[in-house]
Amino acid sequence: MNNLNLLKGAFLILISLAFGIVSLRYPLGRLDRAGPGMFPLMVSSLLFLIGATIVVRSLLAERAPMHFKPRNIVIILASLAGFALISEYLNMLLGIAFLVFCASLAGTSYSVVRNLKLAAGLIVIALAFQKLLGLQLPLY
Amino acid sequence: MDILHNLAFGFEHALTLQNLMFCAIGCVVGTLIGLLPGLGPLATISLLLPLTYSIPVTGALIMLAGIYYGAQYGDSVSAITMRIPHASSIVACIDGYQMTLKGKTGLALFTAGISSFIGGTVAIIVLASLAPALGEVALLFGPAEYCALMMLGFVCVSFVTTGSLLNGLAMCLVGVLLGQIGTDVNSGAQRFTLGLPFLADGVGLVSIALGCFGIAEITKNLDAREERTPFNKKIHLMPTWPEFKRIIPSALRGSVIGSFLGILPGGGPSIAQFAAYAVDKKVSKYRAEIGSGAIEGVAGQAAADEAAARTSFIPLMSIGIPENAVMALMMAAFIIKGIQPGPNMIAGHADLFWGLVASMWVGNCFLVILNVPLVRYWLSVFKIPYSVLFPSILFFCCIGTYSVNNSLDDIFITATFGLMGYIFLRLELDPAPLMLGFILGPMLEENFRRALLLSRGSFATFITRPISATFFSIIAIFILWQLVTFFLQARKSNPPRGQPV
Repeated sequence: MNNLNLLKGAFLILISLAFGIVSLRYPLGRLDRAGPGMFPLMVSSLLFLIGATIVVRSLLAERAPMHFKPRNIVIILASLAGFALISEYLNMLLGIAFLVFCASLAGTSYSVVRNLKLAAGLIVIALAFQKLLGLQLPLY
Repeated sequence: MDILHNLAFGFEHALTLQNLMFCAIGCVVGTLIGLLPGLGPLATISLLLPLTYSIPVTGALIMLAGIYYGAQYGDSVSAITMRIPHASSIVACIDGYQMTLKGKTGLALFTAGISSFIGGTVAIIVLASLAPALGEVALLFGPAEYCALMMLGFVCVSFVTTGSLLNGLAMCLVGVLLGQIGTDVNSGAQRFTLGLPFLADGVGLVSIALGCFGIAEITKNLDAREERTPFNKKIHLMPTWPEFKRIIPSALRGSVIGSFLGILPGGGPSIAQFAAYAVDKKVSKYRAEIGSGAIEGVAGQAAADEAAARTSFIPLMSIGIPENAVMALMMAAFIIKGIQPGPNMIAGHADLFWGLVASMWVGNCFLVILNVPLVRYWLSVFKIPYSVLFPSILFFCCIGTYSVNNSLDDIFITATFGLMGYIFLRLELDPAPLMLGFILGPMLEENFRRALLLSRGSFATFITRPISATFFSIIAIFILWQLVTFFLQARKSNPPRGQPV
């Protein structure tokens, strides 16, 4: 199953179906007076065709494996989500600290001292944004 | 003489203290992000978009344009010194890095700087003389022509940026579909909002750009786990006179090629570099040396690179159709500032248009000053370890996303597109055409519906009108050519097989 081109086609088909099926729920209208569903339906049909072509072609061509390492992307997404949640319920300064400490798990080396320095630096930048550039940041 | 008069008018606007400052900021930021991994021009322009809300129109656009061509230049510095291009300077790696290996880094950097300057200057002359003329042609365009031109743009971009028509076109279409999210302008129907109120206005441009280009790119770099070795060699900048004489012809050739290729749909810096390099390899007096660290191998492509980066503004400003992803983002910036790029822009906002053109030349001077005498200091940014860099980039992405609407929900959207962009990267789908599709999508739908409305539902309108028929036949030729090459390859690489695969 680990076939790059097959997965590529399948992913595109998935997107086209998601948009195509939903667009059927909107009025299609006629060609001379297109409704809101017409254009997305046409585009997703075209995308479906391309996805299907890629799938068919992948069965003929040589296989190439897909390299997918979930670790780093999960860490990065978790640090973003954590930043947003902490900023929402506590404050953004803690969010920044969390972002630095969580994200750097994905780096090649981990150092608490360096993270503390970095977090402090970014907090200073955030304060400067708020005070000097007038961004509305819920810092504290 | 008209051009001179207009350019003088433009310089009046570009040389105000405020605009000079914005131009300098744009060039510095652009060079910096061109040097550093993790943020390309697409991500940076979208990151700074919210900051430009409070800046006057001309200044904001001058700064964003500066970021674009500054990044183009910074990228080539990193390609020459360390053979790491982040965006498009793949060609600079060949001869530029060979020159570094020979200990002639300074000469390579000087060549690139001077050639870029020459390329930029030629491109500005082309821009100033061609854009108004093309604007008059664009007045003949109706909705069918706009549709055809956008489709041609999709096909060309797909082919140029990804090398595979199917992959690129698929990404354009995904972008168009993402652009459909939100409220339909004609009927007011809410489309694909999943019932979420914050999607009623559509997905934010900044979220998509930062997700697909910022976060996905960072993760890709982290996956590679390579630590870069900083550049520590000596740099001797000034060339000798015979060396200097070799730069000029090659740079002029590159400028002309770059200016021309920058205008075509789907064109832009990357294809211009390859073309200029190929031409130099054929016609240069020193063609035998190219590939092993020749001055010509650096000069031609650097000139073409900068020239194309500037002339790619022509279709945007005169016709109103961006021809690649970065220009699509620039168009979004124009629209945010309340200016509709297109045939009426040059007449309606003459100060802005000529000011922007003139500022490109000012930016050129800044880049030469920044990059030739000061290049040593720039190279010290490579000493920042990636473990410090990437959390900072994430931080800027968060702040940038948040400050568009002062909404923390947007960070979740950015994270979602980060995941999507990462999947695209791992599936070897280049997300750049997605950006173009996303920005052009609503315009394409609008013009498509209008064209069919005018023709009472008949598709014949796309092929009976001469201009749109020409565009569609070019598209057809492209697709046919792709099909033929595919079948020829399949026949060559697939000898009859006995056993099932």
